[in-house]
Amino acid sequence: MVENNIGLQLLTAPFRLEVKKRSDKIINYFLLTYFLLGFVLAYFYDTWLVAFGIGSLSLLAYYSVKLILPASNLYQYVLSVVLGTFMAQFIYQMHGLFEMHFTAFIGSAILITYQNWKLQIPMLIVVIAHHSVFSYLQNTGVDGIYFTQLDFLDLQTFVIHIILAGVIFFICGLWAYQLKKYSETHIMQTVEMAKLQKEALLSIERKRNEEALEKSNSELRKSNAELDKFVYSVSHDLRAPLTSMLGIIDISEEVTEDPFINKNLGFLKSSIKKLDVFIADILHYSRNSRLEVVKEQVDFRQLTNEVMDKFKFMCRKTPAIKVDIDIIEDSPFVCDKQRLVIVFNNLISNAIRYHSPVAESPFINISVHSKPEEVFISVKDNGIGVKKELQEKIFNMFYRISPNSEGSGLGLYIVKETIEKLNGRIEIESELGTGTEFKILIPNVQLN
Amino acid sequence: MYKKVMVVDDNQIDLYVAEISLKRNSFAAEVVIKNSAIAALEYLESAADTPEELPQLIFLDINMPEINGFEFLEAFQHLPSSIHNVCVIMMLSSSIDPEDYKKAEENRFVKRFLNKPLVKEKLKELLLELEYGS
Repeated sequence: MVENNIGLQLLTAPFRLEVKKRSDKIINYFLLTYFLLGFVLAYFYDTWLVAFGIGSLSLLAYYSVKLILPASNLYQYVLSVVLGTFMAQFIYQMHGLFEMHFTAFIGSAILITYQNWKLQIPMLIVVIAHHSVFSYLQNTGVDGIYFTQLDFLDLQTFVIHIILAGVIFFICGLWAYQLKKYSETHIMQTVEMAKLQKEALLSIERKRNEEALEKSNSELRKSNAELDKFVYSVSHDLRAPLTSMLGIIDISEEVTEDPFINKNLGFLKSSIKKLDVFIADILHYSRNSRLEVVKEQVDFRQLTNEVMDKFKFMCRKTPAIKVDIDIIEDSPFVCDKQRLVIVFNNLISNAIRYHSPVAESPFINISVHSKPEEVFISVKDNGIGVKKELQEKIFNMFYRISPNSEGSGLGLYIVKETIEKLNGRIEIESELGTGTEFKILIPNVQLN
Repeated sequence: MYKKVMVVDDNQIDLYVAEISLKRNSFAAEVVIKNSAIAALEYLESAADTPEELPQLIFLDINMPEINGFEFLEAFQHLPSSIHNVCVIMMLSSSIDPEDYKKAEENRFVKRFLNKPLVKEKLKELLLELEYGS
């Protein structure tokens, strides 16, 4: 409530200032007219001194208070008193001419302009005081007192006179009050209206922005999809000749026993495979950084089986690498399946590639434990391991542990980037000559 | 060993490799080589009434001019069912686009998606798997 009042005060402040300025201007003319009227009336009974003396004292009182306290409304109350005084002056000047009493009503009416009912009070007091005192004095026969042209004003007439005056003051006060209320309501409505209009404009603008955003988003999606297609067809076109070469090498290897040629074909094959892996890595990197994360339910059993399918041939080489897959699914897991495939592919191909040539029974243990909040994935091997001081660097782009490394130096970088895209994290635990374990935590993005 | 296997590919080198590999690894007694999807469809249609002429296995490339592998599958669907009963299709491509995997997997005529090249380990594996499977 209080807040509302303060709000109303703030909102109506400019309007009230406007009312005050306008009213002050009217009063300036009005008071000048009243002052000059005094001189016109002085003509009848030769009351020049009264016209000048009381008139100027009244104006002095009004303008001095207004000048000294411009911020306060006190001068308006002084005006109220001044208007009462003028009424008394005019009645006196016209020697009690009854019609001069109407000037009280004029004053009361003119005060409505300030839209403040309280302004009626000082004038009412002045009128009552003046009437009582002057009526009493005239009735007791004091000389030089002019209140009424009647010989005797009885109490009944006096009371009716005062009551009528009071009613006029009351009505004028009521109008002032209602005018003020009306103005305030009007202002509130105007403000509300402006607010609504602004909101409407804002919402139109917001809608327009949303449409523009949606448009540019769909354009972006389209160009992303086109780029994706482009990247794939480039990668296909790069891979196609490589696979042809591998095919040629494969059929050539079968027909020669010459160790020199076989060795050379082996070199050729490993070079081609290196290039092939590199193309795939670049493709995965470009996809991961560009494409949005897809939300779909992941079946880890199916996923690991699919991944292991690709490595069947690699694992069968001597010594055979034993792969153990242990999956506990406590909760359905929602994530980007394609990205998880990339992570598994890279980690498993690393584990195979860097298996220990001296270990008696090389193994890879893959374990997955999915919970409502996250999934824990571990890929552990007893391969050649990584030196402590190099462990930090293995996730760096194009970092390769030895010049003999077969990889592109992108694999683990892509793994880390991909996991980060899924808001997860990866850690390595490894000891040179003993083996390596990659531990991964990825949050579960439950389907909404 | 298969009696008859068809290879559909626009790449001459890959056709050459596939033919030699299939024969030398005793995968197929006869290899029908088609360098376009249209030629392959024409061959199948003409052999619709003679099942012994139909290949039991078709290795189908994806990226080919004019009609690509998936368009071939579309047309294959409308061939007589006598052909569907005999021919099993294997996609054979150098594509690593997961979309291609998915599309191939979803097609009821496609048995598997294979990545090129068709090396001997893969063929041996396949032979074991298909024989036990069927």
